[in-house]
Amino acid sequence: MSHLHVPDGVLPWWLVIAGWLVTAAIVGVCIRVVSADDMRRRIPLIGAVAALMLVGMSSEIVPIAYHINLTVVGGILIGPVLAWPAALVVVTILALLGHGGVTVIGLNTLVIGAEMALGAWLFRALRRALGPRRSGWSAALATVATLALTTSMLVGIVALGGAPAASRESGAFDPATLRFENPFGKWVLGSETLNAGEPTPPAEDPAMSLTRFALMVYTLGSIGWVIEAAVTGGIISFIAGVRPSLVEAGGLAEDGHRSVGDEGSHV
Amino acid sequence: MDIGRIDSSAVQGRSWLHGAAPAAKLTAFALLLAAVVVSSNVIVVAGIILALAGLVLACRLPARLAFGLAAYPGLFAALYAFGLGAGPLVGALVVGKAVAAALCGVVLVLSTPYPQIFAPIQRFLPAVIGDVLLITYRSLFLLLERFGHVLTAARLRAGVVGHNPVRSAKLVTRSLGGVLLYSIDLSQRTYDVMHLRGYDGRLAVSPAPAKHRWQSASAVAGALVVAVPAIGWRVGAAALAPYAWLPAAAGLLAFVAGTAIGITRSKGMQ
Repeated sequence: MSHLHVPDGVLPWWLVIAGWLVTAAIVGVCIRVVSADDMRRRIPLIGAVAALMLVGMSSEIVPIAYHINLTVVGGILIGPVLAWPAALVVVTILALLGHGGVTVIGLNTLVIGAEMALGAWLFRALRRALGPRRSGWSAALATVATLALTTSMLVGIVALGGAPAASRESGAFDPATLRFENPFGKWVLGSETLNAGEPTPPAEDPAMSLTRFALMVYTLGSIGWVIEAAVTGGIISFIAGVRPSLVEAGGLAEDGHRSVGDEGSHV
Repeated sequence: MDIGRIDSSAVQGRSWLHGAAPAAKLTAFALLLAAVVVSSNVIVVAGIILALAGLVLACRLPARLAFGLAAYPGLFAALYAFGLGAGPLVGALVVGKAVAAALCGVVLVLSTPYPQIFAPIQRFLPAVIGDVLLITYRSLFLLLERFGHVLTAARLRAGVVGHNPVRSAKLVTRSLGGVLLYSIDLSQRTYDVMHLRGYDGRLAVSPAPAKHRWQSASAVAGALVVAVPAIGWRVGAAALAPYAWLPAAAGLLAFVAGTAIGITRSKGMQ
């Protein structure tokens, strides 16, 4: 639910453009921070992790409108720096498939990128505190905390956007003024005004709308956080058992970095 | 998300839209998206959806897949509208915009192979992002296939069974873990192959030319026919609102014409 599913043309332009600018700045910095040679080496890894996230996101749990994101798993594997280009790619491909708006790719990338980066940082901190044997639990806890934070980020973005489009738009939005007329002569079709004479219902208080939206997102989202935490914990526990170096240092681990039990791995 | 069918439609389709140059289709996509974004009239948006649905049928794109993919974001948009307490008309507009924008993207991906969509965009993107887009697309097929095989193997060994959901969930999670390890190894192999082939930090994709110029021109012209009135209705919203049924009627006509063309073409192919 933290993934911004706001369609195109609903949020104000300044917010959409700000999303693009901030995303461009963060992704630009992340690309420059990593040396060109290292980045070239990691491109297939970023692509593989992005594809894995897309595999997760392609399966929806319909009753609660939730799909597994695997964002925290992705963040743990490739680290908080490479997470941002991966997030941008995932969001772009999803937008082309109609999942999330094209104009809100910037804002969506901020949410998904933050999810991956925060998840990776929190996981490492929790793993240090709880110990490597509890990698699965560390990942699950990091996932719940991260999703709670990024869901709040989503609510914040919607709050920044103000009331829904109704207050900004005009014309057919207003049932009191919605009418059908014939431009070629009123004798053909006539003029009809819907709800003529009826008083326009008072607009809902924007603060009330936002509270209701937040309530819905947190209620449905919390179910999703538990599912995501269980899946993430299970996967990381499995990976920590068979290839520990992947969860220890993530995608930017040096080639020589190997843990016990990891001798046969390629990465 | 049936990536295999999407790719098959994009690569094997033979309609005039498939023949148009990717750059022209991207231009048409941008125009249609602009029309959806600026529209504030739910009836105009309905007209755009009908016109796009007609295009899907006329080009014999896989209709069930296209409409299913386009309806998917409608579900989230409905939740968004409901959560924000939007009235029926505003709610319908939010859902309509989501569906219309999704339909624009779906028509593009069902008529253009992914690498060809990215080829023109690559010029404006950092090399890293362009390359990751292409590799992600390639990896996606391999991972979906691998995940399918792992789940099939688990089912054959009675690992995924309905009466023990906890055991099934554990197995699916482990399967995902296995696919993840496969994806890491795959990325390493991909890099080795790219390195051997002289990868120097930029995967170049040559944009495919149009089969006939008229195909590209008609794609852009068609998008303009939709976008100009939609933008006009936004600019003159107050004055034109009573006549919003006109674009909706035009959309309905386009839908009927598209259906007729689709039926004629399918009969001709039999």
